[in-house]
Amino acid sequence: MTVQIVVRGAPAVGTLQMRRSVEKLLPGDLAVLRQAFSQAMSLTDNRGFGYFAGWHGRPFDWCQHHTSLFLPWHRSYLYYFELSLQALVPGVTLPWWDWTTSATIPAGYTDATDADGNSNPLLVTEYTVYQSGKTRKAPPRTPGQNPVPPLPYGDRLAAAMQDSSFADFQSALEGIHDDVHVWVGGIMQDIELAAYDPLFYAHHVMIDRCWRLWQTQNPGAIPDPSLLDLALQPNGMTVRQTLDVTRLGYDYAGTIDQVPGTVAAPGAGAG
Amino acid sequence: MQRWTSQPLKVPLELAVPFVRADLEVEGVEHDGPSSYVMLYFNLPDADEHTGRDVPQFAGAFSLFAHGSCWGDPGHCEVPSGPVTAFDRRPPHPLTPINITVRVTDALRKVTNGDVTVTMLTFPVLGSDRDESLRFSRLTLLTYD
Repeated sequence: MTVQIVVRGAPAVGTLQMRRSVEKLLPGDLAVLRQAFSQAMSLTDNRGFGYFAGWHGRPFDWCQHHTSLFLPWHRSYLYYFELSLQALVPGVTLPWWDWTTSATIPAGYTDATDADGNSNPLLVTEYTVYQSGKTRKAPPRTPGQNPVPPLPYGDRLAAAMQDSSFADFQSALEGIHDDVHVWVGGIMQDIELAAYDPLFYAHHVMIDRCWRLWQTQNPGAIPDPSLLDLALQPNGMTVRQTLDVTRLGYDYAGTIDQVPGTVAAPGAGAG
Repeated sequence: MQRWTSQPLKVPLELAVPFVRADLEVEGVEHDGPSSYVMLYFNLPDADEHTGRDVPQFAGAFSLFAHGSCWGDPGHCEVPSGPVTAFDRRPPHPLTPINITVRVTDALRKVTNGDVTVTMLTFPVLGSDRDESLRFSRLTLLTYD
């Protein structure tokens, strides 16, 4: 269930950004991701981590759950959040946590410190609800301690992928999604606070990837047509605009390999 | 853990064409409290926290990924009864009750009498300050052929 993409040659202007499995990130890639989150967390205005976490839960509550907009809304949400990170650290992409093969939270999100001994911004220990001015201690994640089935959920996803209608697939995938949130525990088990845990984004990138993979198997299977021109809160993207990830500038890669071509890539240094 | 058992629901055993899929629709689920995990059993009113999933009466389960306690001012978490005006095109309130669909095809095929009760066990998540049954308005058994 992995899209195998090998990109060779100099990336052109407009090259798709590839999201990757967190398990396949090299140490340098993980450092870049942590740098992006760290910088975003240092901003308290509407470019920062707290602002985007606040889209989902407190204080704005714009997320969509158990409605026909679950997948489109979260795709547009990740799109905006990822762009906000790329504005701080060019080229960074959000990785996915593959809970169909992994039975634990990726180490990148649980390590107390990074390779240099700095605190790991991907391990949530406290949170500040956007513009609340109050920083609170986050209850620790409690993976596997709530009474939901143990990970991994490969069989369950495989069953959901057999659905041929968008509504059925979305409903089945959201059920798996809900279980993962509760399996993680901590603030991930609370809709209002979940997006203040960086693991939220790795989980939802996986959800978005599952939709992308399902779309490749079910071309033309779309949400109810009456919803396509509905604008999603708060960014105004329509449901229709969320249907093709390549038009949003990203895709999902199993592997990526790049080598220089015969002319310098745009933006590359002379050396 | 809290237990609740439904009134009997009719199972369409008399149909000439057997169903290919069965869904249990839990309708009007309120999600303004802590998250919880819900396990469903057919015709097993004594199911408890020790029953588990490896019994033929186990029908399915789901997590209720919920909003937690109210963080706003008084009235913040009260779901409006309808639009403010006829021109109110805003999305529904975030706490509008939801419907949850559970596929119960295999479990329903094991039911051999004409009706079925649903026993629902609701488990609170760690850190929850509430131990209560799922709050919902209606249970519907749907089959497709």
